[in-house]
Amino acid sequence: MVVEAKFAKIVGAGNASSQKETLEEYSRDMSFVNPVRPAFIVRPKTAAEIEKIVNLANETNTPLVPVSSGSPHFRGDTVPGTGGVVIVDLSGMKKIIKITRHNRVAMVEPGVTFAELIPAVTREGLRLNMPLLPRQSKSVVGSMLEREPVIMPKYQWDSSDPLACIEVVFGNGETFRTGQAAGPGTIEEQWAAGGVQKTPYGPGPAQWQRLVQGAQGTMGIVTWASLRCELLPELEQPFVVGSANLGKLTDLAHWLVRMKLVNECFMVNNTDLAAIMAEKWPTDYCDLKDSLPRWILFYNVAGYHYSPEERVSTQIKGITDICKQVGVEPVKAAGKVSANEILKTVQKPSGEPYWKLRYKGACQDIFFITIYDKLERQLSIMNELANQYGFQSSDIGIYLQPMVQGTNCHCEFNLFYDPTNPREVARVKTLYTKATEALMKVGAFFSRPYDTTARMIVNQNAASVDALNRVKGVLDPNHIMNPGKLCF
Amino acid sequence: MAISKEAYKEIEDVVGPENISDDPSIKDAYRSQYLTVVLPGNTEEVAAVVKLFNKHKIPFQVQSTGWSFYPPEYDFIFVDMRRMNRIIEINEKNMYAVVEPYVIVAELQAELFKRGLTCNMKGSGANTTALAMSGHGHMGLSTGTGDRNDLATEWVTDEGEIIRLGTVGASGEWFCGDGPGPSLRGVIRIGGVMTKQSTKIYHWGGPTKYALEGNSPRYTLPEIPANMMVRYYSFPTVEKLIEAELKIGESEIAFELMGFCPSMVSSNITTNNEEDFATLERFTKEVQGPGFMVIIIGNFPGDFEYKKMVLEQIIKETKGKSLKAVEDHNAEATLLFQCTRVTGSIRETFRAGGMFSSMMVQGQRYDLHVEWLEQAAVWKRELIKKGLIIADDGQQFGWGEEQGHLGHTEIFCRYNPYDADSFKAVHDWMDKVAKLALTGHYSVPVNSALPIEEIGSQACNYHIWLGKIKQAFDPNLVGARTGFSYVGADTAGAHTLVYPPKPPAKQP
Ligand SMILES: Cc1cc2nc3c(=O)[nH]c(=O)nc-3n(C[C@H](O)[C@H](O)[C@H](O)COP(=O)(O)OP(=O)(O)OC[C@H]3O[C@@H](n4cnc5c(N)ncnc54)[C@H](O)[C@@H]3O)c2cc1C
Repeated sequence: MVVEAKFAKIVGAGNASSQKETLEEYSRDMSFVNPVRPAFIVRPKTAAEIEKIVNLANETNTPLVPVSSGSPHFRGDTVPGTGGVVIVDLSGMKKIIKITRHNRVAMVEPGVTFAELIPAVTREGLRLNMPLLPRQSKSVVGSMLEREPVIMPKYQWDSSDPLACIEVVFGNGETFRTGQAAGPGTIEEQWAAGGVQKTPYGPGPAQWQRLVQGAQGTMGIVTWASLRCELLPELEQPFVVGSANLGKLTDLAHWLVRMKLVNECFMVNNTDLAAIMAEKWPTDYCDLKDSLPRWILFYNVAGYHYSPEERVSTQIKGITDICKQVGVEPVKAAGKVSANEILKTVQKPSGEPYWKLRYKGACQDIFFITIYDKLERQLSIMNELANQYGFQSSDIGIYLQPMVQGTNCHCEFNLFYDPTNPREVARVKTLYTKATEALMKVGAFFSRPYDTTARMIVNQNAASVDALNRVKGVLDPNHIMNPGKLCF
Repeated sequence: MAISKEAYKEIEDVVGPENISDDPSIKDAYRSQYLTVVLPGNTEEVAAVVKLFNKHKIPFQVQSTGWSFYPPEYDFIFVDMRRMNRIIEINEKNMYAVVEPYVIVAELQAELFKRGLTCNMKGSGANTTALAMSGHGHMGLSTGTGDRNDLATEWVTDEGEIIRLGTVGASGEWFCGDGPGPSLRGVIRIGGVMTKQSTKIYHWGGPTKYALEGNSPRYTLPEIPANMMVRYYSFPTVEKLIEAELKIGESEIAFELMGFCPSMVSSNITTNNEEDFATLERFTKEVQGPGFMVIIIGNFPGDFEYKKMVLEQIIKETKGKSLKAVEDHNAEATLLFQCTRVTGSIRETFRAGGMFSSMMVQGQRYDLHVEWLEQAAVWKRELIKKGLIIADDGQQFGWGEEQGHLGHTEIFCRYNPYDADSFKAVHDWMDKVAKLALTGHYSVPVNSALPIEEIGSQACNYHIWLGKIKQAFDPNLVGARTGFSYVGADTAGAHTLVYPPKPPAKQP
């Protein structure tokens, strides 16, 4: 039997494909990564099938690329890095396995999207700490494995949050469960004893989930993940603070997060907020953008079960004092955008089309982790380079997300461009690479490097590359998993 | 001499003659005749000496503050980190502090208090390293737990390679420890030597310094700050206690919730055993069932009043009863400074009998294994009845972490380790409790003499995976058979089959 037929046999012929058009779809994404056509697509439905796929891949030396989210993809991580790849498309694994209000935890398969999970947890009185406006097709598990920033920094105790435990088939074909899920016994036995799969660390002194997060599918295939959820507030009072002075807003953000006063909390520039909120294009977008201050800090004060009004009003008083000291004023609307509308918008995934594509049809992001002290210099370098490479700097969307309870900040530049205009594409491509290089020199930390710049970024730390390869050698000794990505 | 003259000389060339010794009196001070002690002064020296240990195939162990040091019984080099004792940075706006291994939490916290900040602290307390190692402790409700607090880290592997994780490897900054790519924070506790680490810090609404009065061991505060309060509540049933604990976590009102049983409170506020046992007797009569201590702190006007109001409502709903003795000024003051600066651990553990041995579940919330704990308590009380361990209330204690998302529970026996019967009874108890954790599917047991194969086979064979990762970083098997684990006494090497097995615990 040829290898492809063996893979097809595992998942059933209806869940395998080698049709040219299908292969073509998986061969490219919206990043600048060169297209490479995969050999075959399989769509497993169970962990047992995944284990068989990985074992067969080891026997036949076939590279595998796991994919959880639906298209469009943006980062090049699911585009094959080599020939002969079998794509393991998990987007059909859509079981929401368990949601427990009492333990504030949910457990889902990799194909479950935010759009699917949000209503399910809401029914239980819970909510997700989710990224800013993920696209409709974005997998919850995929987002957590990528360590995407989340919009409620107060509830992000660790960069690995909200991920709790995972079940993973490592590259060598063996299945492992991390954290509290590891044991004793099976998941069903743990449930029968009253247990849940929530504690992220262990067993033993290793932190296994950290080795799979940020790995872009190079260590193994995750068959389910559990995640911590937060309570649904009973009362919410969102605010915006506009300013031309970003320093004042980061000062305020520091205090809001430090004192755990707010749930959602992030900053955007006028370009991004207009791109997010505009309904009619391009009229709305231009109008909104014109009406907005240069920078907008959004935050949301929440009350829970006990005296929510009192809690919210006390916290608002506390925030008012901080605002006076910082010299800013919180209001209910910035320009033509109200805080309530922003709140409603960011508590869901993006509508269709995906917000980053509405303006010009394509968007290249440059994102990194930084601290407030470095932002000014990094922003001015980005501006200079945009001007130098012919990209209108006022057209750059900027999103700043305080992370890990205020210990650092995700900074994201959204370069909106027209993918049908070759000159614009070329300009953005150059700017993307040049800006990445320049920003690295001024303390921008590309913790999640993707596509064409990944190797340059990872290889800067040779000792870390060596250590990562030692780990890889244990978990995926035959380099079956997504070869060609990161330093592997 | 434990190691060859040649090896000794080469190590001496790195650290200088004043920083290496195998003098018998020094060995005595370190409680082991098998060791040669080395005191490196910086990361490069650590890396250089570890390379020499590999060259000469000499096993080594490292100590930061030594609160969990159990010397092995073979010739080894002991790397004492006491010369690396600097607080390198406190970054207020970005909420992290960078420390070397011999900075103790008391020092770091004192500096942080001045800035309206604090840090997580393990239950062993103020005298232990400020590295975010192990680290489940009293303030976990609002300051998280050990490894979840670390950011960028500088780490010397068992082969002597210096690895700088995250931003410190990219730009020398300390604000992120993950990546590029997968996070090596996943493996830094399996061995090697952490030489610098950035740890998360938290807002502190208490005073910049406690205005202590009195003399050791009886300190007090002239007054309790107006925005702070300590209470101890007991509940009619463990179900009610759990309900209250969860509600307090979910409503985000408490700075600290420590599931102290009455004996933990009495040992904290008393200064000798006689006083302790008398106080415990009084408390035991007054409490209606299991309980916890809670500390609330207001961070701005109105905040304290709101938190107090919600606390009172929760206590009413769950039929909690305040222990009057803790409302007494001196008791409240003692608990306040002792449990936020975490200075009572010796009182809690060693004072009563000379030794304590603990069974615990780290990370998992109390309510998930309460049956297991209650059984452990029943078995513990049998030892009390037989006079083999200190007659405390026999209860477990625990606390919520990260506002009740996670938790920690523990039950320990305090006893006289020089009494062979006591020693044996306690260790048998630990094995029995560990076995129940395993067979009842409650948690992966730590701290027992159960063979690692028996435990690992019930937990995805993690011991085999860990062994492979250990070997990948320590091909010469000289590295610490120890390493950070969730229990100081438990060691990473002991979680594998790679190293010679840990000998059974020996009676002193
Ligand atoms: C009375 C008492 C109470 C305790 N209570 C608690 C508690 O409530 N919660 C809790 O979490 N723990 C508790 N512990 C254990 C506690 O975690 C440890 O005491 C503390 O973390 C040890 O820090 P240390 O630097 O003193 O450790 P050490 O004894 O110096 O080392 C502990 C282990 O880590 C390794 N190690 C030390 N430094 C380094 C380094 N720089 N790099 C790599 N490896 C290193 C050592 O080889 C050893 O295996 C308690 C211990 C005692 C004695």
